[in-house]
Amino acid sequence: MTASARAEITNEDLEASIRRTLDRTIARNIPGLAPLPQTQTDLDVGPSAKELVYSNETALLYHYLPTQSEIYRVPVLIVMSPVAKGYILDLAKGQSLIEYLVMQGHDVYMLEWIGPRRDQSHLSLDNYVIDMLGGCIDAVLQDTGENELTLVGYCMGGMLSCMYSALNVKGPVKNLACFTTPINADGMELYKRWMTAKSFDIDRLVKELGNIPGDFVNTSLQALRPLQRSANQMKLLNNVENDAFVKAHLRFDRWAVDQLPVPGELARTLVKDFMIDNKFVNNALTLRGERVDLGRIKVPFLHVAAQHDHIVPAAASKDLLPNIGSQDKHEIVMKGGHVSLVAGGNAIFRLWPQLDTWLSVRDV
Amino acid sequence: MASEDSFDPIRLWREWFVKSEKSLSDALSEMMGNEHFSKGMGRYTLEALHTHRMFSETMGQHLANLNIPSRSDILDTNDRLAHMEETLNRIQVELREQRSQIARITVLAGSAKPGDNAARPARTRKPANNLDT
Repeated sequence: MTASARAEITNEDLEASIRRTLDRTIARNIPGLAPLPQTQTDLDVGPSAKELVYSNETALLYHYLPTQSEIYRVPVLIVMSPVAKGYILDLAKGQSLIEYLVMQGHDVYMLEWIGPRRDQSHLSLDNYVIDMLGGCIDAVLQDTGENELTLVGYCMGGMLSCMYSALNVKGPVKNLACFTTPINADGMELYKRWMTAKSFDIDRLVKELGNIPGDFVNTSLQALRPLQRSANQMKLLNNVENDAFVKAHLRFDRWAVDQLPVPGELARTLVKDFMIDNKFVNNALTLRGERVDLGRIKVPFLHVAAQHDHIVPAAASKDLLPNIGSQDKHEIVMKGGHVSLVAGGNAIFRLWPQLDTWLSVRDV
Repeated sequence: MASEDSFDPIRLWREWFVKSEKSLSDALSEMMGNEHFSKGMGRYTLEALHTHRMFSETMGQHLANLNIPSRSDILDTNDRLAHMEETLNRIQVELREQRSQIARITVLAGSAKPGDNAARPARTRKPANNLDT
């Protein structure tokens, strides 16, 4: 063995020894830090077993593998918001709406979105509702052999689900549930003021950027409660010795800043037609020439709103129920915020059982 | 680390901040909602776009001279990766379809055993009788 080889081994040994000592010291003296993942991406999210069933442009359709020997007849398709990643509904074992529904015997599919490429900036609301959501619905029906399904939309996913249901009143949507779904842009005061300002030019933004970056979306969401993230970091410091809290916090935090870019054309429609002209609540929105009239929706309908939702405040979603034409329609307002409603520690006691009850009698 | 009952002014400040965050955020949001701020933000966005474009054009040339990839090069790579992912997704979907067809044939031939993927769960589940809808 040469002197240089000996020196290399010695250096490696020394490095390993320092690392071991440090790890041991941290693990022994600061229990809360020991289980911290090295990076945010080390966190395991989305643990439920799933298979990719269909993909189309920015849409990915997953099927969650059933764990029960007998399942409800009608499949459930969860539609995520085009700006948010789907793993918020499947954060970790025991903290997953998906896992819960699968355990209750529902056949669950999820439409998740991915960020658009630069050559996909032309994708519009028409493409999202008619082509991509429509394509996923066809794929679910083909995969299950059923001729109807239940749509469950989260946030903007609820908007897309309502639009699809209003355009396809003869089926195949059997039931429609929406969580914290905005319909009236006048209720989103801050966004409304920013976007109606003469100096805000969405056309220029789209022309320059093509797609609206995820960071831009993230910043605009955080501006609604500018100090919330700082407060959450303080909560983390105050609970650093609580392993479960730290892991849950990191998972939420990762998701909160993990926003998807939005295709330029979709952003343009959302700003002009939804935010500025407020066409959705007035049943004046058109997709490929057909008017989206929510009054045409006659299937059983459920809307779940969060009491302390600062992203979609009550004023933005309260018109949904009156506008829907169904006889069988309900709204539940629960404690919690926009995200904690579906994925917080209390969701398992509040929202999930109510959703299961609502679905189970309608999914047979 | 300070124990729960020891006096820790930083911890107390953090707790106060967490409790006051909602009202502080509301006050800030209200300030951001006024007409001047909205106008200013719109102008700032447009100026930022303009600066971004000028900077990208200027820096692009410098980075090329230094043989360092620019943001545009990274976006090109990102797009190529996205195309590859799309192709992989199609292959994944195709493979699943093939597996499902084999499973259907196995079920029809009666050779599927309990626990096999071939045997999909029956879609006959009924809700419990005492559910309040």
